[in-house]
Amino acid sequence: MSKVHLFLLLLIAVAAGVILSTVDESSSYEDFATAEAYPGKEFHVVGTLHNPSEMEYNPLKDPNLFRFFLKDQKGAVRQVVYHDSKPQDFERSEQVVIIGKMSGSAFEASKILTKCPSKYNEDSIEVAPNTRTSLRMLKSVAQYPFLERTL
Amino acid sequence: MSYTGEWLLPGELGHAAVLLSFFTALLGVISFGAQTRGIQGGRTLSWQGLGRWAFGLHALAVVSIGIVLFVIIYQHRYEYHYAWSHASRALPTHYIISAFWEGQEGSFLLWMFWNVVLGLSLIRTAGRWEAPVMVFVSLAQLMLSSMLLGLYVGDIKIGSSPFVLLRETMQAPIFQQTDYLKFITDGNGLNPLLQNPWMVIHPPVLFLGFASTLVPFAYAMGGLATRQYGEWVRPALPWTLFATAMLGTGIVMGAAWAYESLNFGGYWAWDPVENASLIPWLCLVGGLHLMHAWEKRKQSLPSATILIILSYLLVLYATFLTRSGILGDSSVHAFTDLGMSGQLLVFLFAFVISAAILLALSWKRLPRQPQEEPLWSREFWLFMGSLVMALGAFQVLFSTSIPVWNQIFGTNLAPPADVVAYYNRWQLPFAVLILLLGTLAHLLPYKGRPSLPFKKWLLFLIVPSLLLTAGIAVPLQYTNWTYILLLASSLLAILGHLGLLWQQRKKWLRSGGAVAHIGFALMMVGVLISASRREVVSVNRSGYAYGGQFDEKQNRENVLLWKGEALDMPPYRVTYLGDSVSEPNHYYKVQYEERNKNGVVVDRFVLLPNAQINPKMGLIATPDTRHYAFSDLYTHVTQVMDKEATGGGKEWGPPEPLLLSGSGDTVMVRDGLLIFEGITTELPGDLTTQLQDAEVKVAAQVTWKAMKETYQLRPVYAIRNGVEFRFDDVREEAGINLSFRRIHPDKKQIELAASVAAPEPRDYIIMKALRFPMINLLWLGAVLTTLGLSMAVVVRHREKNAPPSIAFSKNDDKG
Repeated sequence: MSKVHLFLLLLIAVAAGVILSTVDESSSYEDFATAEAYPGKEFHVVGTLHNPSEMEYNPLKDPNLFRFFLKDQKGAVRQVVYHDSKPQDFERSEQVVIIGKMSGSAFEASKILTKCPSKYNEDSIEVAPNTRTSLRMLKSVAQYPFLERTL
Repeated sequence: MSYTGEWLLPGELGHAAVLLSFFTALLGVISFGAQTRGIQGGRTLSWQGLGRWAFGLHALAVVSIGIVLFVIIYQHRYEYHYAWSHASRALPTHYIISAFWEGQEGSFLLWMFWNVVLGLSLIRTAGRWEAPVMVFVSLAQLMLSSMLLGLYVGDIKIGSSPFVLLRETMQAPIFQQTDYLKFITDGNGLNPLLQNPWMVIHPPVLFLGFASTLVPFAYAMGGLATRQYGEWVRPALPWTLFATAMLGTGIVMGAAWAYESLNFGGYWAWDPVENASLIPWLCLVGGLHLMHAWEKRKQSLPSATILIILSYLLVLYATFLTRSGILGDSSVHAFTDLGMSGQLLVFLFAFVISAAILLALSWKRLPRQPQEEPLWSREFWLFMGSLVMALGAFQVLFSTSIPVWNQIFGTNLAPPADVVAYYNRWQLPFAVLILLLGTLAHLLPYKGRPSLPFKKWLLFLIVPSLLLTAGIAVPLQYTNWTYILLLASSLLAILGHLGLLWQQRKKWLRSGGAVAHIGFALMMVGVLISASRREVVSVNRSGYAYGGQFDEKQNRENVLLWKGEALDMPPYRVTYLGDSVSEPNHYYKVQYEERNKNGVVVDRFVLLPNAQINPKMGLIATPDTRHYAFSDLYTHVTQVMDKEATGGGKEWGPPEPLLLSGSGDTVMVRDGLLIFEGITTELPGDLTTQLQDAEVKVAAQVTWKAMKETYQLRPVYAIRNGVEFRFDDVREEAGINLSFRRIHPDKKQIELAASVAAPEPRDYIIMKALRFPMINLLWLGAVLTTLGLSMAVVVRHREKNAPPSIAFSKNDDKG
């Protein structure tokens, strides 16, 4: 057997290692139940924002803490903690993918991907409103700042 | 129904040009194909002339499509869907150019345009290779122009035309009106992420890179088809070098765009779209080196042929990955699905199958050396290095294709949770091997007679590079062995190739290979240091205690800056000075001050990270970076105060009643002084005429001192026909709303009511600042790599037609 053949065998072995490691290290799209069964292991959880009013982000207090509740595809709701700033327009996302692990009763996300209903190329037409009259009205008000009649 | 105001002529011209480009490409395939067969059969028909005419017409058609589409976008003809969905009136001209290739149809067009340029220059220069090579160029153009057809055969859509009208693509009640165009005054606009100077130049270069991989592929396929198994290598060499340079530059430009204008904090994220362009480049580089092994020592031809063919097939696969929508959520910049996945697969498989058939038919006939390469010869290590590169490409390919495996096998795999760490773990060792093998191969001569004794190697190369490694790794406190190995192998490569440069200083143009290798090694050092020692400057030190179960290790990479209030962010003191708007960008002025130990300011500069507050996509932050020779300071905002929600129209506090009896009465209202001057019957403005017939009409004269300014206020009180009227004096700029409530004749007092504006919310930004040390080595290395490859293109182009025996001396270096 020549050295080239040996080398090729080695290559095939590494290639097999690549395939095995990819399958092994790839995480999977799971729900909270699975993430709870394996605390500390990282998962992708797909879900929707649950109860937006309980979303908590106060940048003035701590810009690196964002908490919200996520309902996974099986309907389980857990709190998610994200130690970074809140992704802009998070409320509007129709689907959220969080990557991270369970820690206690909350899910600790290291990355958040959002899918917005209105991606940029949303196919809806914006027709120009009838701006002319409203502009004229605004102008007339602006001319008389103190004409606020109160009866 | 006929519509008014539509300009249909360009669309019709465009459609006609698309059809023309499709059929001329078909004619090109037929005629160049016939010409190729003619060579084999010994017939000489003027197929070649016909093919040239067809391709010339095709070139004309492609350029016409481009001009028509550009005119439509430039003239804001929003009756066309493409113009409407990719442009808007606010877009400056240079971004109208980017709007041109933002959509799939436009980028296919860009690709076709480069293929046309390459095809025309092949017709001029390829000589006897013209016909067999142009068959495959025409075939690629046939496939690409079919992507623009926009025809329906039964229910199957073939291609997507850039010239469809808006009303043909969308259902909306507005289209019931014949004058609907009057109401569509603006387009959807260009994605703000793409409104960046890099997006004007990065796509053309990248597509030139993609397009130019077609040429070596076409040569290899033409060589197989005409049974000139090894002869294709020499004329294809300059093209392969050119493709390597262009694709590499395109990839690095993409990285530079990400670094300069995206805010993920880096230049490479192992995103599927990035990977998709890296994989063919790795294969191409492997193939390029094996082509040299064949040219010099008649070795490794089968592997060279396979790698060159694969690199183009991988370009097509990358196109499929990024445009079929299969990547879905796994990528930040995957294109939208136009429902052409099927057609893209046909494109891919047409080339894969024809390549597989040609290879299988000629596999037994490919020339091979009967004896093996000697162990200590360049050709042996070139072979090893190229296969390692191919293996590295395979690793990226296999992992990036996870969504494809999910589709095929019905699995539900997600990409690794920490993608960057995952790829780095694999690719760092590959980079170490490639650098070592590349240097070893370059230092060994062909045929295998080591020129330098081992002692000298040790003395001049290994020991100095290990010493240098220690000199760099110790201050950087590297403990990770992979990092140290990558550093050592890069330094070895740099020193080794510097030595080669010195040896060949008399034939400097021939040292392109050494220059390119030095560039690549410098890039690796730049990547290693800037990524491993990337430092968060904006560490939040506010000491906020996290509740519950989370510990201190959490990243606290964002800091809050109040406007005008300095914050210590070692080694800087930063102040947010305020913002300015230049639509669509909001610029946030952040001043950095660096002080020495004595508190003297040694450096002061202002960065302008900006953001587009886009109603459709939210805040799109773009960093601003301070470039130093040895590091970059990179800053972007992550949150800004929502001024729409808090500002815009004052909020008035509750009215406070004030009883005043005589002139000079002074009252403190919030932060200001209100001084009553007296009562007058002189009414402000045209109230005098309005209130002509009123029984009572008086104005209070009041001086209001607030915010370092003094204002004169005149609230009016009147009674007409027994009814009270009040005309408040509302001064937004003074922050007060003063009303004349009533007169108390019994107490000789008047009653005013003052509402003071709620205090302005304080402006703030939340930002992140990162330091990238030694990142300039990355850009410098990229420039050197391109330079080295360009030098080699020149050399190889000159030698292209020389007969093999005299072209190369034994010692000259590869390109």
